[in-house]
Amino acid sequence: MTQVLGEAVGAVRAEVPRRTRGRGTPRRKLTKRGRSEARFFWLFISPWLIGFVGFLLGPMIASIYLSLTEWDSFTPAKFVGLDNYVHALTQDPIFWKALTNTFYYALVSVPLGLAVGVWLANLLNKKVRGRKLFRTMIYLPTLVPLVATAMVFKMVLAPSGPLNDLLGVLGINGPDWLLDPTWVKPALIVLSAWGAGGATVLLLSAMNSIPREFYEAAEIDGAGPIRQFWSITFPQITPIIFFNLIMGLIGAFQIFSQVYILTSGGPDNASMTMVPLLFREAFSFYHFGYASAIAWLLFVVITGFTAIAFRTSRKWVFYETKVR
Amino acid sequence: MATAIQVPPVAPGLPGQTPSQDRFTSARTLKAFRASPATYGALLVVSTIFFVPFVLMVSIALSSDATSATNMFTIIPTEFNWSNFTHVFTATGLPVGRFVINSIVIATLSAVGQVLSSSLVGYAFARLRAPGKNAMFIVVLATMMIPAQITMIPQFLLFKELGWVNTFLPLIVPNFFSNAFNVFLVRQFVSRVASELDEAAQVDGLGYFGIYRRIILPMMWPILTAIGIFTLTFAWGDFMGPLIYLNQEDMMPLALGLQYMTSTSNAMQLPPWNLVLVGSIILTAPMLLIYYFGQKYLYEMNVSGGSAGVK
Repeated sequence: MTQVLGEAVGAVRAEVPRRTRGRGTPRRKLTKRGRSEARFFWLFISPWLIGFVGFLLGPMIASIYLSLTEWDSFTPAKFVGLDNYVHALTQDPIFWKALTNTFYYALVSVPLGLAVGVWLANLLNKKVRGRKLFRTMIYLPTLVPLVATAMVFKMVLAPSGPLNDLLGVLGINGPDWLLDPTWVKPALIVLSAWGAGGATVLLLSAMNSIPREFYEAAEIDGAGPIRQFWSITFPQITPIIFFNLIMGLIGAFQIFSQVYILTSGGPDNASMTMVPLLFREAFSFYHFGYASAIAWLLFVVITGFTAIAFRTSRKWVFYETKVR
Repeated sequence: MATAIQVPPVAPGLPGQTPSQDRFTSARTLKAFRASPATYGALLVVSTIFFVPFVLMVSIALSSDATSATNMFTIIPTEFNWSNFTHVFTATGLPVGRFVINSIVIATLSAVGQVLSSSLVGYAFARLRAPGKNAMFIVVLATMMIPAQITMIPQFLLFKELGWVNTFLPLIVPNFFSNAFNVFLVRQFVSRVASELDEAAQVDGLGYFGIYRRIILPMMWPILTAIGIFTLTFAWGDFMGPLIYLNQEDMMPLALGLQYMTSTSNAMQLPPWNLVLVGSIILTAPMLLIYYFGQKYLYEMNVSGGSAGVK
């Protein structure tokens, strides 16, 4: 699911000319064989088609309707128009807190994770002995299921846990991460940084495919390693950075398990984000209408940020084909 | 510039100057790829920090109940209570063995469902011709952009109406209807396979289902393995789905059961952290094994996705 957004757009574009070309020509009548083939096509895709209607299109329409009602699933639904949206945006302080918390988390954790990922990939791209071992060590955390990660980090982030021990060595008095409203979001960001290795592996393989000649030429021209990184490596890996940025943002806006297990949104809603809020409204308070409205607002936020990222990408993402 | 072209950049016969694509096997390492002590230092520090949670996980899992009760854990293991690995199944008051079996059942059936359905649908999109096919494929791609939260509530209401709450069905059944990403992967994979074989089979009188069953399916196994691993991994670690649909102890998968284990104890009594972390190790270990044995198939999936991005 997650890997495809970038491809999906490309694939749609590839389909378009074929369709418009087909539109001009008169549709030929299908032969008997063609009709049989078409029947088999619809038969074979029927699992997807049924799933699409039953689990996606139907629920989506239901969700739009639900978001316009007040409903607890026990008493009849009451149509309230846009009240749920108005309530979320103008009267619910927790909604705004959750929204800003989600922004905070996404806009810090994703760029930070990417910066760490690029830095590590650049280190591993050198002629390092034991490269495979380092790479595995850095990638390993991404394989741990989120629930297990959360359990371990409950301990790592404990007031007298290893993180504060480490800070103590550096002479810093560490905070009570998960119990302190100002430090609970940074704590979640620390947890997300543990998974930076996922991006590193993708970035590393991208760095591997940069032609060696670029670096030879740069060295002859007298460019130092830092200059070479910013003038050769970085531009060449921007498509992968962009891909990871989009996927990371979409994932970060939907953060749930870590929050639910570590803090349940507390203390004082300081770590409450959009999906845990939605979950609580729906499955603890049975505010199905209001929760549906939050889901659509989340959808708008995600789509908006994706669109902004695509907009700005023209300025900084480098595609080989543009040069030719 | 002109002079540079006249001088041959590579003098043939000189050692270490043969043009090589692999920058690491050539004798002279370019400045950009030279590892300094600082490089090693940074890598050592980072990989150690990244590894600390794993060591801590093992350390807590092996600590005694007394240590666990006071919450005074050391990073490096000092106690080795291997019996915790059996106690986790007996001493928590929760059916942890059931948790594991439930996880296996849910993950396996989900993977089977995805493999069967997406192979069939993907084959149809790759090989069969029908009016409206391209439009349908655009719909497939578009559905990948809908976040799960939108459909979560109506789906819950639907499954509740069907009486599926507290069964595995809401977690398993949707997988038998394929998902867009997997359909896309299969379609890309099959499109890349030459179609002579199935055309020949058609001439010989094999029907469309026969072609799928006898010709395409055996060829698809690399991508189907990848899809299987991907679904297995997701279903095994999934927390939100079980949290919504399962609230009876003996129906919970391990991921949910672990969280349940930490939340049931009251304020006077700390959760049995050593056993919770044993559970976390049991939850993590299969993922490490699957990664170790399945690496090449997962790579296959990235390649077959056909995006410049994931390669």
